[in-house]
Amino acid sequence: MPPDMPQEALADTQAAPPATVAAPRPRAATLPIGRRRVLPSLRGHGGASWQRQRYPFTRRTPLLFATRYNPLTLAAERQLLDPRPVLWLVALAVLAVAPPLFGDNSFVAASTTFEMFAAINLVWMLQIGTAGIFSLASLATVGVGAYGTAALSVYAGFPWWAMWLVGPLFGLAFGVIITIPAVRLEGFYYALLTVGIAELCRVYVIQSQPLGAANNGLFGADGFVPDSMRERPGLVLGFYAGFALMLGGLLLYRVVNGQRLGRLLRAAPERHEAFAEALGINYRAARIRVFLISSAGLGGIGGFYATLLHGASPSLFTIDQLLLLLAMIVIGGIGTAEGAVVGTLIVVLLDKVFIGLGPIRLILIAGIMLGTVLFLRGGLFGIPAQYRAWRGMKRSERRAARSDREGETMPEEAIEIADKQAIVVKRFDARLRAELRRLISDALIEEHRTSAGKRRSDTLERVLAYFRSAAVTDKYAILAVKPFAEYRIVALSGRRGVPPRVVDDQVFATPEAARHGVFCKRVQDLMDS
Amino acid sequence: MDPYYLALTTVTLASIYGLLALGISIIWSSLGMINMAQGFTFAVSGYGAWLVAQSLSSNGFAVVAGGLVTGALAGALIGAIAFIPLYDKPNFPLRSLIATLAISMLGAQTLLWLFGPRVKALPKIFGYGSFHIGTVVASHEKVGSIVCSVILLLVTLAWMKRSRRGLEIRAMMQNPEGAALVGVGLRSTAMAVMAVTGAMAGLAAVLLSQNYFVSPYAGTTPLVKGMVVALAGGLGSISGALIAALLVGLIEAVTAVTLGGQYVLITQFLFIIAVLLIRPRGIAGMIEHTRE
Repeated sequence: MPPDMPQEALADTQAAPPATVAAPRPRAATLPIGRRRVLPSLRGHGGASWQRQRYPFTRRTPLLFATRYNPLTLAAERQLLDPRPVLWLVALAVLAVAPPLFGDNSFVAASTTFEMFAAINLVWMLQIGTAGIFSLASLATVGVGAYGTAALSVYAGFPWWAMWLVGPLFGLAFGVIITIPAVRLEGFYYALLTVGIAELCRVYVIQSQPLGAANNGLFGADGFVPDSMRERPGLVLGFYAGFALMLGGLLLYRVVNGQRLGRLLRAAPERHEAFAEALGINYRAARIRVFLISSAGLGGIGGFYATLLHGASPSLFTIDQLLLLLAMIVIGGIGTAEGAVVGTLIVVLLDKVFIGLGPIRLILIAGIMLGTVLFLRGGLFGIPAQYRAWRGMKRSERRAARSDREGETMPEEAIEIADKQAIVVKRFDARLRAELRRLISDALIEEHRTSAGKRRSDTLERVLAYFRSAAVTDKYAILAVKPFAEYRIVALSGRRGVPPRVVDDQVFATPEAARHGVFCKRVQDLMDS
Repeated sequence: MDPYYLALTTVTLASIYGLLALGISIIWSSLGMINMAQGFTFAVSGYGAWLVAQSLSSNGFAVVAGGLVTGALAGALIGAIAFIPLYDKPNFPLRSLIATLAISMLGAQTLLWLFGPRVKALPKIFGYGSFHIGTVVASHEKVGSIVCSVILLLVTLAWMKRSRRGLEIRAMMQNPEGAALVGVGLRSTAMAVMAVTGAMAGLAAVLLSQNYFVSPYAGTTPLVKGMVVALAGGLGSISGALIAALLVGLIEAVTAVTLGGQYVLITQFLFIIAVLLIRPRGIAGMIEHTRE
């Protein structure tokens, strides 16, 4: 009750406290809610768990374990906080072993394609995700590397290992050329321009006689698979070379994205560049460095492409091929290495393995891409974060929809409270108060007023027992200002040394009247709660 | 070099580029979306016109109407798929760009699946005749496409200037949130924009198919050219798009006459990159921050 409440109103409530008692409302249906992250937990943690292994020259630990005691059994446990390295290792091991062992020739060839595209996507992800430059000329960079090295091999007799060495130089040179507009242009202007540059390359390659306009591609370059090798061993060799290329792509992604350059750029995301600049981060230089490094990487993949296929074809520059690559990284999710690889896996699987379907498989891929971009914020690997955001939204909606919580802890809050006993006590208290509220009536209050010092009814005793058991903090007490003449109601502070505070201006002449006043106050509080 | 020939070629190219670039430019400035599916609209309107010519009548007006209607429907479809569900979602510009790219891939493959890889030819709607302008022979086809596209451009511009809907579109270009606050329906206006620009692409498809063929991938080159013209003109600026269309058309004509056809794209790109390096927002582009 507010302390400035007028006396009449107080008297009124004393005389007639609310007699109508609301029927217990049906409880709102609650859905099972929880925040359980199922982590594999290992038994025991001794001194060994404090000695972490590190990657050489870094502070990174291969596997990050947390030690804790199980709250239920109190047993010592170790939990692997981030299982992704293990998953990566298992997936890569399966990839390294399965296709050559179990796949037929076309499957091994498709796996090699997958590895090459995965490498391209990983390096492209550095441009789009890390550097934030939405370049659509990634495949064109690969094409420039492939055409350049193939031309050197055809016209200057370069062997395959020299092509691998020269490929990054072509990529770097092309990267420098297409970076010049990136210095000035922003966002979509640059994306559109790179589409145009890819188209320009395609038209040039189609029309240029030295680059094999007549043969639909420049072929006859040296290959790293020796001609003396038979078909199957040659394919397997190509597969493992592609595997090494993909590992190289992963390493490059990890080194650039996870180390200093990547961190600098993560501090300067889109729309927050000014802040990063104020911190002294030269984000433009960092972006361009990442772009050039990844262009060199793409050129190197182009060199690999030329040695694998003995040349290059104009399909590298077509928009369709580019769209296929874009579908891969969009489906997986822009900004993560696993997204790049898994998206590539899905699209290559649909594209190469279901090749009998004809154009339908590409329609299917485009449909998946469209569905991903319409419904998912960050591709497949953004689903957990998006789900958590959705659940949080639903949770707060439900919390907002519940107008009266009746003093109970809501399930949404309960998962944040470690001491579950407190929740039980609170719930019991809420139900007890609801029960007692039903007992309060005008007759009961009247009985309390008239029965001071006499035997009381069972109902009144119940109510009084609850009132007496209240915590000391804010408990009402009677202060005798002048004994047998003036009594007032105070509330205890509950803290030693802090005096009780006066609750209101009411003055009672007798202790009995004061006791009844305290009772009315408590009834009032009970009805209000 | 014959100035009359040059002028005629320039105007022909400029009118078609203008139709394509204007569509992309208007969509970007009013919806904030890069419509990479404009090439799909182009291709599908070619097929629509071809179907009309095959099954209904090969009358010129019917074929043009077929292209216009198919283009408007395709544009509205793109708007319904890529704009309506996404425009209030986070990261809208990038997601709509990817969505329109996905639509263009989906559309090209569907067309390939339905109609097969063989190209189709549209009937010559302007006839085969020709007449002289100065020293140059102007075929009906060229003059017809100039007249048609200029008429459509003028009608669109007048509609944008005079009509209620055009006022809403211009309000949305200037400040989408403000427009929504004063009662402009973003969704309905967006659908109108998509339908009108789709119809423009449809007309461009019918006109260009007088010289080229209708095929599932026919939209790629016009898309790229329209896009770079819009880029050079400045995304969001109508006058800029028209100036850029004229300049790019002129460069294409001059290059084709002096250097040869295979250098056209290279000189165009050099020109556009030069323009963008000097003026990163294009010839008359709005500054992006203004739109936000």
